Amino acid sequence: MGYDLIVIGGGPGGYLAAERAGHAGLKTLLIEKRFIGGVCLNEGCIPSKALLYSAKIFDYARFSEKYGVTTEGAKFDHSVALERKNKVVKSLVSGVKGALKGSKVTVIDGEAKILGRGAEGFQVAVGDDVHVSERLLIATGSESIVPPIKGVPEGVKKGFVLTNREILDIEKVPEKLVIVGGGVIGLEMASYFNSVGSKVTIIEMLGNIAGATDKDIAQILMKSYQKKGIEFKLNSKVTQVKAKSVVYEAEGKSLEAPADKVLLSIGRRPVTQGFGLENIGVELEKSAIKTDRFGRTNIAGVYAAGDVNGVYMFAHTAYREAEVCVNHMIGKKDQMRYDAIPAVIYTNPEVAGVGETEETAKAKGIEFDCATLTMKYSGRYVAENEDGEGICKVLVHKTRRNVIGVHLIGSYASEMILSAGMMIELEMKVEDIKEFVFPHPTVCEVIREGIFQL
Amino acid sequence: MATPVIMPRQGQSVESCIITKWFKAKGDKVAVGDLLFNYETDKAAFDEESKVEGTVLAIYYVEGDDVPCLTNVCVIGNEGENIDEFNPSSDSAQAPTPEPSAQAHSASPQSADATAASAETLTSSPTSAQATSGELKISPRAKNLAQKHGVDYRKAAPSGPNGRIIEQDIRKLIDSGILVTSAASDEYLSSQKSAEGTGLGGRVRTSDLAEASVMTAEVEEVKLSNIRKVIAKAMHNSLSTMAQLTLNSSFDATDVLSYREKIKVGMDKTGVGNITINDMILYAVAKTLESHRDLNAHYFDDKMLLFKSVNLGIAVDTPRGLMVPTLFGSNSKTLNQLSTDAKALIEACQKGTISPDSLKGGTFTVTNLGALGIESFTPVINPPQTGILGVNTIEIKAKEVDGKIIHYKSIGLSLTFDHRALDGAPAAKFLKELATNLENFSAILAK
Repeated sequence: MGYDLIVIGGGPGGYLAAERAGHAGLKTLLIEKRFIGGVCLNEGCIPSKALLYSAKIFDYARFSEKYGVTTEGAKFDHSVALERKNKVVKSLVSGVKGALKGSKVTVIDGEAKILGRGAEGFQVAVGDDVHVSERLLIATGSESIVPPIKGVPEGVKKGFVLTNREILDIEKVPEKLVIVGGGVIGLEMASYFNSVGSKVTIIEMLGNIAGATDKDIAQILMKSYQKKGIEFKLNSKVTQVKAKSVVYEAEGKSLEAPADKVLLSIGRRPVTQGFGLENIGVELEKSAIKTDRFGRTNIAGVYAAGDVNGVYMFAHTAYREAEVCVNHMIGKKDQMRYDAIPAVIYTNPEVAGVGETEETAKAKGIEFDCATLTMKYSGRYVAENEDGEGICKVLVHKTRRNVIGVHLIGSYASEMILSAGMMIELEMKVEDIKEFVFPHPTVCEVIREGIFQL
Repeated sequence: MATPVIMPRQGQSVESCIITKWFKAKGDKVAVGDLLFNYETDKAAFDEESKVEGTVLAIYYVEGDDVPCLTNVCVIGNEGENIDEFNPSSDSAQAPTPEPSAQAHSASPQSADATAASAETLTSSPTSAQATSGELKISPRAKNLAQKHGVDYRKAAPSGPNGRIIEQDIRKLIDSGILVTSAASDEYLSSQKSAEGTGLGGRVRTSDLAEASVMTAEVEEVKLSNIRKVIAKAMHNSLSTMAQLTLNSSFDATDVLSYREKIKVGMDKTGVGNITINDMILYAVAKTLESHRDLNAHYFDDKMLLFKSVNLGIAVDTPRGLMVPTLFGSNSKTLNQLSTDAKALIEACQKGTISPDSLKGGTFTVTNLGALGIESFTPVINPPQTGILGVNTIEIKAKEVDGKIIHYKSIGLSLTFDHRALDGAPAAKFLKELATNLENFSAILAK
């Protein structure tokens, strides 16, 4: 007998969809070619957080004189940090596997290949076995872009050029690390390796780091990193990777940055090739699977969720998209909305934002009022941060007076951004939010202060 | 002395009327002849003018309320007068005043409060009589609650009397989660647009407002008027319960057209009014029906009522919708009488002043779409009648007379009849006789 749903890809989008579908009573098969948990759990979000936390503790140990703490002989053991990271990953992966089992999802380790569509449904082969299902959910995720720059392929082969996958497992902390691409992954890795002793250089093609992050916040983050010794080469284009350096071009000049390892983090591309997507004619747009607000592709019965649709490459977006897809399959009213998707960079200080930035609001022609305030409005922030430079920005729609964006840099930003996300999702007005009670003293009180300034 | 204004009884069969619009508010001064309010039955609309001078002291029913006939609607008198006895919802009209001393200062805050309170009870109470008309009816309490919670009250299922939305309906709506976000609520509720909520829990978001304006730019939602609802029900009932079919025929209109010209020319001298083609057709139909009683009848499942008198229903297009006034005793009227009476009925329908009693009792109906160029159609019978004649436009036709082709003006006739009441042949015979009579119009005038 066939399945009600075959999910291809066991990352956040895939495993959550399978879990929810199984729970809803759909006979579900999940096919994963590498590790259950996908990039997020195995070589992305989670392992990087484990390492970053180790680095943070190391920073506390070394730089806490201001707080009355002096530690002598603080040492960092990268191998212990790696081991701990692996333990964290293992424990979470087994948790996901347990949840899948609990939802009666069949899991097959192997490479899926869509053969086509027959009278019984879609046929998906794993090795010699052919599985048939009424519906498909494509959750094949994304992969690091490896640009065709001179020396890159050779560097990758030699293990000199790394992606997020390899760098999380390198045994030795490189003395000199060059990071190509100053986006989220590049910045987080820069934060870790800077803390644990590498000389880090970030080469970024654009004039700013952190991609779509609020420009002022990106600037504060860069300055704080510069203070820590990270070098930034903005408006710089990598032209060649040599045996021991990276050659880049800036202001017409060709420059060279010496490197022991190179991290490529220029972006990620949806995985749409190699598993037979073309056999059922799924439409792509800009190399991503085109989906509607219900997660449907152009082919009836075929859905896509997560990075593969190219909308917002976040695990949390994938989760939500997966749920929307499954809800649509089981006839539950739901749809995808992208206005309140938080973005977090787990640097130290943390960066978090949700909704429109001043830049995007202007580009969309939205009239807004913006309150920008220092995090020093929060008593707790002052108590815990000597010379903290954190800020909070609150954007409010000019006529409707609802919150349309909140952007933070400072401690706990990642944890408090959800509250702002809810304000945006529910389109709460300034007057509504004034009635909220914020716990005192907390850093999130700065959002309340921002609200009262508007 | 305060005077109550009652809801008039329009026709013997009318039990209640709906107040459609108030022109005066509590506290307004009125003079004799001032328009107080509009009201309507399910078929016609009327104006109520003030018969006395004074101040409006109380208004017991709001727009949209269905008020039983002869009930007090408002009170006009001098300021400060005690009007408790007129309140249709209070029992104090009969009960003796508990404390005589209270009367001494009848304008005391207490009694004012009492009046206000009872008025409020009326508008928000689930037991107050309301009715469906074009406007959405919602109690102020329910409306406040809806606005407080950001729910779209237009989506509430009314459970109050006569389709009024009451508090519990809004509670239900809140529970079922038809919500509007805080930011979208003002714009949404003040607009006439109805958007599909795409937000959390189906909330209508600001982005949906833009979509709604695009999607519904060409669409306007109009609540059905009572008349529309009555027509809809009657038409559907007619087509779903009867065995209707239509026969089409035509007659040579040469005679009626020339007769009409003759009358027109001699109008001043003869005192005969402007006789229309339709009047002549009505006249001929009335005369012809005398010998076709199956079509001048009411059909019921176990019996038929065959009428001696021909009471012709005349379909009239009015701004409010289709109305069918009845021309009683059409077969015993002269052509001139018939023409004059028909004109009066049509005019009353157009003005909305027709008595509901004139809108029933028809035994056969004539509907004329000829002026709109219609060449043939299938009129829908008005039950329990057994037939309806559709009159079509004038067309030029050709016929052979003595080996020559001559052209003549022809008028099409479309007869729908109920096959349960009579068969095709008798219906066709009626149509043929009617055509013959119309072709020899001068002759039937002499009968």
